Amino acid sequence: MKNPYTILGVSQDVERAEIMKAQMLAMKDKKYSLQEIQIAAKQLLDPAKRLAADFMFPAKIKARRIQIIQSNLVYQDINVNELNENAFDSII
Amino acid sequence: MEVVVILIIIGIIGYLIYQSLPSAKFKQAQAHFNAKNFFEAINVLNGIFEKHNDAPAKFAECKLILGQGLKTNSEKLKAFNEILELRKRINNTSAIAKYENIEAKALFEIAKIQYKDSKADIDKLNQNLKFIDSANKNGLETDFNSLRTRHYYQLSESYFKKAIEIEKSKKYPDAILDYKKAIECSEKSNNSTIKHNAVARISICRLKLNESIDLQENSEVQKADKEYQKDLFYRYSVYLLKKGDFKQAENIISTHLKFKSADIEKLRDVIKAEKVKIALNQITQINQSIEQLYDNSLSIEELCTFYNSLDSIISSLKIVDLELSEKVLAIKPTLFNRLLTNYISIEQYGNAIDLIQKFPKFWDSPELLKNLGICCYGYTSKGLLTEKNYKIVLSGWLTAVYSDNVIIKSLEDTSWDDNYTFSLAESIGSKYSQHEEVPGNINYDVISESNISIGATQRELLQQFETIIHKEIKDHQLSILVNDFYDEEKEALEKVVNILATDTLFPTPHFAISNGLNNEIIKELDSDYEEYSNEEALEAGVPYIKNSTSSKVYQYFFANDIIDRIKSAIESENSATIKKLNTNENKGWINKFENLSTKVEDSLFNTIANKISEDDENEALIAVMEECIAFSINNEKLKHQYSNYVASYCISQVNEETIDNYKALSLMKGAYLRSPNNPRICKNFITLIRFNLMDILNDRTRKESDISKILDWAKRNMSETFKENSSELSNARKEILGQLKASGVDISLFEDNNLASILSGHSLNSQGLKMKKILTYLRDLGSIQETANPLDRLRQLRQQLNLDDDLPF
Repeated sequence: MKNPYTILGVSQDVERAEIMKAQMLAMKDKKYSLQEIQIAAKQLLDPAKRLAADFMFPAKIKARRIQIIQSNLVYQDINVNELNENAFDSII
Repeated sequence: MEVVVILIIIGIIGYLIYQSLPSAKFKQAQAHFNAKNFFEAINVLNGIFEKHNDAPAKFAECKLILGQGLKTNSEKLKAFNEILELRKRINNTSAIAKYENIEAKALFEIAKIQYKDSKADIDKLNQNLKFIDSANKNGLETDFNSLRTRHYYQLSESYFKKAIEIEKSKKYPDAILDYKKAIECSEKSNNSTIKHNAVARISICRLKLNESIDLQENSEVQKADKEYQKDLFYRYSVYLLKKGDFKQAENIISTHLKFKSADIEKLRDVIKAEKVKIALNQITQINQSIEQLYDNSLSIEELCTFYNSLDSIISSLKIVDLELSEKVLAIKPTLFNRLLTNYISIEQYGNAIDLIQKFPKFWDSPELLKNLGICCYGYTSKGLLTEKNYKIVLSGWLTAVYSDNVIIKSLEDTSWDDNYTFSLAESIGSKYSQHEEVPGNINYDVISESNISIGATQRELLQQFETIIHKEIKDHQLSILVNDFYDEEKEALEKVVNILATDTLFPTPHFAISNGLNNEIIKELDSDYEEYSNEEALEAGVPYIKNSTSSKVYQYFFANDIIDRIKSAIESENSATIKKLNTNENKGWINKFENLSTKVEDSLFNTIANKISEDDENEALIAVMEECIAFSINNEKLKHQYSNYVASYCISQVNEETIDNYKALSLMKGAYLRSPNNPRICKNFITLIRFNLMDILNDRTRKESDISKILDWAKRNMSETFKENSSELSNARKEILGQLKASGVDISLFEDNNLASILSGHSLNSQGLKMKKILTYLRDLGSIQETANPLDRLRQLRQQLNLDDDLPF
């Protein structure tokens, strides 16, 4: 089922009176069939059905803008070739 | 006198000849041997060495004993070698065979002396091993084997010592060769200490040569000397660090070098420095990605890779810098939202569903659950359902739409609805006013034009989705699977919603099981049952069972399953299965649940009724029904059903002559036993009794004794209804007696009373006796019970015999 807001070209907060106007405009545009426009208008004029149409808009989840991550870590280079291989020599 | 002298001389000559014989000589030698006079024995045996078969072996044995008694090893070796030399003098096969046993002992003595003299010298030990291998070992195989093992044991130690010296001189490849020889000898002598140590030293030599080693499956090393282990694992860690394998080095250090040492600390510092280096690189990369994200230059694939890489980065950062790991963790939700929004906007619903489902406890967030519902709807409407994914999608959709909180939450996003209030009164996600906290515009009041039904919205959503799955799935098979599964999930969910009055998420069974929420639902349903004894709660929990076997819901499921198995056995006419299921334990499970135990009766009755409607002349069903009655012993409905079925079956089969009267009688006995007061059953049973008696009378059956057994049983078990309906038998008796009498037969002979026969002065032949038996059964089972008074009985008899009523006494 197509989104009735898209068919009528209206925003999610559109008032009842504007829905009727939008229906007339959509019929003039002929982008959608008469039946599709009528169903869309009927759906938006019925609060329970309109709520069902609203359900299909993704929920906005609150999230903060990400900041660049600052670090206090300091890298200390250690030369592995200086390690004493014979530290635990077992046949001396 | 002369004769005597001659005889004596002959005797002496004879004795001397006898004494000079080899066997006599051998006896002498044996006597010396027994007296431990070995030198004398040798002298005697020497004389008969070639003449007596046992002489060489006994000679060698004397030499062996003398040799063993010598003081020095060189003297001993000389004596034992002399024994070996004896072989050359023997030319008789039988003598050689006896000699070889002693030869083997001499060889063994020589080998022992040579082993002692070798003093751990590798060459001498190897030489003596060759001597042992070539020696004759007759009867001494075990001793020789044991001596050989001692050689290998000594050799393993000698090779190991030699290898150590070579290793000290830094000739590592040569040292490895001798360590390997030590291992080889240790395996032949079970010298595990040398084996473990040699394995460890080989690894050390390889590391000294800067060669790679594999310690993954080398358990020998971990049994080696502790100092060797320490040396090996330390060298290996250094080797790994030089190669850049920090992870493996860290693993070795944490597992095998768990002691304090400045040298070990240095290794740890190297690893820590590497981790810091990696962490700094990761942060740089993360920061680059963040910049790209806000530049909008990060593609959705790159965003996905970036997001997916964060978990492993966070866990590695935790060890280096906890604060830094938390900073990275904090960016995850934002990236998640960005990724999810992108997926939904470009209608990549499958990726969006995967993403949401990986989010920990996503079902606790109404927003995420709503977005999951949107994605499941979008995915389905795009025709993407397959046999692999439909369960995830349908259960996600239903769980989202049935959640009142999801609908309530979506009201916050719009302003057109500010003039309305919304009612949960008809909501499908709750039956009671159970939500603990609801926003101000939500209530449980009656639906009106300004108080909008949230339930109507939910039903509208369901109806839209159902239109898609009913009409738009082209694959017929898939369509059936999808619609059946949808209906099952929805039905199961509605049952739970109708029972539980808790403010909680109600997932469908598949959703609950997949996300580990099923046990919580089962627990709630168990509590509901405990509180209200509501078995519907348990029934509602059954689809949510996965492994919670201790729950009441599971017990209910188990009991129900027993009934289902019986029903399926009825359908397949398998009486043996029903018999197996008929145990006190199984009945106990069912009796735990009141409604279930009541349900058994109707359930079995209806299943049998269906079977009867398919075929009402099916004999196999009789045994099945008998087992069902045995399972549900007080089930009057089942007994009634059974008896009527058996009666109808017998009537039709007897009329069509497909079974004989006896078989019908034995089947009807079962029906009468279970319904003794059912007039229809009694009448049919009685008729069959009459038929069978007539069969006996007219010699139409060979089952006379079997029939009698049933009739005797019937006599002992006559119900009131039976008695009320048994005139058929007494009338038959009257009729027979009338015919007999008309034929001029003396019917007094058929009475039990001896007096009658005495009066008539006649006796019965075999046919007459049979008639008497039949008449007796007809009388005993017939409804007119004869009086017990002997005078009355005599009066009746006189009437039957047409004698005067006036009695002579």
